[in-house]
Amino acid sequence: MARGKVKNTFLDPLGKNNPVFAQVLGICSTLAVTNSFKNTVVMTMGVLFTTTLSNFTISLVRKLIPSRVRMMAETLIIAAYVIIVDVVLRAYLPDIWQQLGPYVGLIITNCIIMGRAEAFALTNPPGLSLVDGLASGIGYTYVLLVIALFRELLGSGSIWGFQILGDWWTNWSIMIMPPGAFFMLAIFIWIIKGVVLKEEEVKK
Amino acid sequence: MNGSLIFKERIYPVLFMLVLTLIFIGIVSAIYLSTREVVLLNESLFLKKALLYAADFPVPEGSTEAEEAFQTHFREVGDGRSGEGYFEILQGQGSQVVGYAFLTSGAGLWGEIEAVLAFEKDLKTLRGIEFTKQNETPGLGARITEQWFKEQFRRKKGPFVFVPEGEAAGSNEVDAITGATRTSEAVKAIVNRAVNEAGEFVGGGN
Amino acid sequence: MNGPLFPLAVFFAAIFTSNILLTNFLGMCSFLSVSREIKTSAGLGTAVTFVMATTTVLNWLVYHYILLPLELDYLRFIVFIVVIAAFVQLVEMVIERVSEGLYAALGIFLPLITVNCAILGVSLFMVIRDYDLLSSFTFGLGSGLGWFLAIMAMAGIRQKLAKARVPKGLEGAGITLIITGMMALAFMGFSGMINIG
Repeated sequence: MARGKVKNTFLDPLGKNNPVFAQVLGICSTLAVTNSFKNTVVMTMGVLFTTTLSNFTISLVRKLIPSRVRMMAETLIIAAYVIIVDVVLRAYLPDIWQQLGPYVGLIITNCIIMGRAEAFALTNPPGLSLVDGLASGIGYTYVLLVIALFRELLGSGSIWGFQILGDWWTNWSIMIMPPGAFFMLAIFIWIIKGVVLKEEEVKK
Repeated sequence: MNGSLIFKERIYPVLFMLVLTLIFIGIVSAIYLSTREVVLLNESLFLKKALLYAADFPVPEGSTEAEEAFQTHFREVGDGRSGEGYFEILQGQGSQVVGYAFLTSGAGLWGEIEAVLAFEKDLKTLRGIEFTKQNETPGLGARITEQWFKEQFRRKKGPFVFVPEGEAAGSNEVDAITGATRTSEAVKAIVNRAVNEAGEFVGGGN
Repeated sequence: MNGPLFPLAVFFAAIFTSNILLTNFLGMCSFLSVSREIKTSAGLGTAVTFVMATTTVLNWLVYHYILLPLELDYLRFIVFIVVIAAFVQLVEMVIERVSEGLYAALGIFLPLITVNCAILGVSLFMVIRDYDLLSSFTFGLGSGLGWFLAIMAMAGIRQKLAKARVPKGLEGAGITLIITGMMALAFMGFSGMINIG
């Protein structure tokens, strides 16, 4: 029973309850950096770290948080973890830190993190919250990585900065510019929904 | 109203936030202070690598190698423009001075653009350029940091003329960036001002 | 470039060429969920514009007069978000007591604003781009108006869209994102018009 619950907590956000394509949550801060695969990897790791640990911490102190200052306390905990990400990136990956600019700080207002804290961490034990945070983070990460992969490949002909496509390839500049991100995400959601919808029809 | 209710409603939330804030600010500050050295080191290394690139030397990946290369090829000299230092570029046996490098900046489209410029000894011919700070539009203005854009300044004599992308031919022509007119203008202004005033940057006239 | 007209240039650029929503993807969450109706969009847009313009100035003052002198600038994320949350709370309390009509119109949107990434985003951009006080104000105001414009346009289009036939997989979020992408394309066209000189 307990194991089943852990398994469900983990698998749910990866599949049909994925925070990005089921709820379109939390794309604000990360979508902006998906024109480079490398930056996206680093950025999503930061999000993963923050969701997991803030979910865990909030769950740990959930019985102590006075309801009047609930949101403030959650924001404070999330912001502290984001600052840790920022400081560590600045020290050990300065190039990427500079390119990410303000977007690291904007992880604080990522709706997924706050959403998981409110919807899950406040009512569940720390262990399970940790799993939930991790799973939501992973569900979010892989969607953005796929988008970044295609945007960089089509927009710059490269992946992780290495040139993949030869001279014959004309870069689709639109892909590394903002509209490309909107189109890519929409197409991704379309494909996923197409697959999910078909499966559901078969079940009926 | 009894005492415990006042405590629960008024004092406890404030106390809780205070303790929480103190704990987290403590943790964050500890991490910040412990990485401060690394950050400072990174920043100086970043500048050194930029100088090496601008002066057309190979840029080593590792930090010790980069530091070594920097030491062999550069000598910092004080008393440049407005008291800031500039660098002499050294090369060959006996470390002869083959050129000069300095930092400069100017307004870009969104914020300041900072660049390192390296000149030959005549202070007109550019050895190269490297941008150390820019906030231009990704995919458009930010393309100034791409190799092809920076490489086209090498060994060309300023002041420069910017021509539409793909048309540069003359020895003082460089390709501007399509769709990023403002950024191209800004870079042109920065580079040409540096070319015209290079004498002032380097010790007030050579 | 950094002349007397710079704040004005920042103002127009923030509305059109560098719209905070369409080029930086900030404020997407509330944009996607609220843009179904013109009336609510207008309410939220007004509240965002007001809060953005004010908190950018407040954060500028806090950053330059408190954080920088104390060398605490690495704590700016926490401090900025606290300033924003506190300000929103204050505004809510004030308009609740002063004007019932205004509270009914804007009150429900205020709690939504604290978690709107665009508000924090503008404050962070202002720091990174080294704006002075006046430019920060015009940047905050312009970004707010730009967001207002984008959400109003979206709400208008979505009302028409309710009568259109959309492929099943694209219903809801998908089609909204595609339209947003097209709006972003259209707004990029403004970049030739604004002459920051």
